[in-house]
Amino acid sequence: MFRFRLYWTFTKKAFLRSAVYRFDVWSRLGSNLIFLLMWGSIWTALYAGREEAGGVSFEAMLTYIVVSQFLTGVNGAGTPLWDIQEKVRTGDISLELMRPFDVPLRYLFADFGSVAFYILTALLPLYTVLFIFMDLTLPDSWQTWVLFIISAFIGFLIRYCIEMSFGLLSFFLVETGGIVDIFYFAMSLLSGSVIPLWFFPGWLEKMALYLPFQGIYYIPNAIFIGEISGSAILLSLGIQLFWVGVCYLLLRLVWNRASHKVVVQGG
Amino acid sequence: MMIIEVEHLMKDFMVAKRETGLLGAMKSLVKREHIKKEAVKDISFSIEEGEMVGYIGPNGAGKSTTIKMLTGILVPSSGKVKVNGIVPYENRQKNAKNIGVVFGQRTQLWWDLPTIESFELLKEIYQVSNKRYKENMDTFTEILGLDEFLNTPVRQLSLGQRMRADIAASLLHDPPILFLDEPTIGLDVVAKEKMRTFIKEINNERKITVILTTHDMEDIEKLCERMILIDHGQKVYDGEMAVVKEKFGKNRILIVDLEESSHRLKVTGGEVFKEESSRFWIRFNRDAVSASELIAQITKTHNIKDLTVEEPEIESIISRIYQEGYQNLPETVKV
Repeated sequence: MFRFRLYWTFTKKAFLRSAVYRFDVWSRLGSNLIFLLMWGSIWTALYAGREEAGGVSFEAMLTYIVVSQFLTGVNGAGTPLWDIQEKVRTGDISLELMRPFDVPLRYLFADFGSVAFYILTALLPLYTVLFIFMDLTLPDSWQTWVLFIISAFIGFLIRYCIEMSFGLLSFFLVETGGIVDIFYFAMSLLSGSVIPLWFFPGWLEKMALYLPFQGIYYIPNAIFIGEISGSAILLSLGIQLFWVGVCYLLLRLVWNRASHKVVVQGG
Repeated sequence: MMIIEVEHLMKDFMVAKRETGLLGAMKSLVKREHIKKEAVKDISFSIEEGEMVGYIGPNGAGKSTTIKMLTGILVPSSGKVKVNGIVPYENRQKNAKNIGVVFGQRTQLWWDLPTIESFELLKEIYQVSNKRYKENMDTFTEILGLDEFLNTPVRQLSLGQRMRADIAASLLHDPPILFLDEPTIGLDVVAKEKMRTFIKEINNERKITVILTTHDMEDIEKLCERMILIDHGQKVYDGEMAVVKEKFGKNRILIVDLEESSHRLKVTGGEVFKEESSRFWIRFNRDAVSASELIAQITKTHNIKDLTVEEPEIESIISRIYQEGYQNLPETVKV
């Protein structure tokens, strides 16, 4: 039995909690904007006045970067990797085992709350202004908007499952620096968050296409700017769904192993 | 009815053996040896509904390990545990509804939110009805004075306030069993007293079974009718506080200051357990020998400059067990 009301309460409380840290919201928004400007100027320089590169117009590329930064903001507002590791280290997560709820789901729903707060108060206002004042490619049909939102949401779930799984690895490792590096490398490069997959060398593009990370940034983004369109969208959503399933199973596996370790070895 | 039953409970952990030196470090990178550490060796006890039991022992004796097995977040290596008819580790979530847990060292409340928000969250977690929630909140507010800080974020509460909030939080869902792990640690005298009164009250009025681990001897003396003493993963004593008090009520300590410093002082009927230059501490049983007999013995060979007779409290026996281990105690002082 899924107790929606219980998990929803976590969402509400996390929403309220985000409101406590207003400075955090503003500083995160500030750094988001700085990265947007940085990547914007880098891509402007790379295009060097050309209208088009690799079959993608400058305007679409700029849109890609803006949407990507927006999604970075969304994905960054959840419980970060280091915080999960900290909760493992202090034993907070182990203690939650004695509560009548499912721990990974409880964190997911709490993340919904923090993310919703950040989107409503910071990201949406900023990016609405950006879309009004910049020359960006907007989807021309409402269906594309809807598909983009669905795809971005699935991407969020993929990212959550992967990040939580990586964080829970702290249960098994004393030193997690290497794991953290792999995670951030995959999240920034293989996901296509700063360089779209179509600019990758063939072998790397192939590799990225066989990995789940593209589902976090690349697929929703490519749907937004129309790089993926028509029936290809459904295929991409199918790939995302496949990956969210796989990553969820991975998270379940890691969580079961971790909680098993806690109950047998004392964490 | 026995609400908690523990039989031949054992828990051992595999601890990675760290080898020293560079070669050892390289070796452990590939293959690591493990040593078995027995945290709980063989503990059995049962607790009746409504009892208030002190679960006492030095650091590392196996207290927390036992409590963790009772809460279900640790699986025993062998032996049986039953809490309110449920095997905790097999049915963790169901067991969770039957127990309330307070850790003096950490909080179960949401750090950044006003205290009331955590209570509301717990209400949902444990599916407490609106009516019952209100009743409990009213009662706790009255006894614990929660209203003075319900709207303050938990991180801004004083330790005393936080503990009051924590204990109220652990009782919101009316658990029949309450585990208190050092509930008075770090509190000032007044706050400690308030906490004890509250614990006593809920035990009396709500018939909640309380298991208390603490290092505070006053907690034990004032709260517990029964004490389970464990050391090195084994139960060394289990019985009524009154018995302990009577037994050690008979023990006295005679402290004598001699004129000259002496290397050795022997008394029959008493046991010298501590000495410092010319001062000697002698423990004796009031029923077996009188203080004046001992003094007479000593004055035969030494000149006494000063003397005092002390009544030892439970504290002294327990601290001896902490320092020397129960097995090493002389037979005369064993419970």
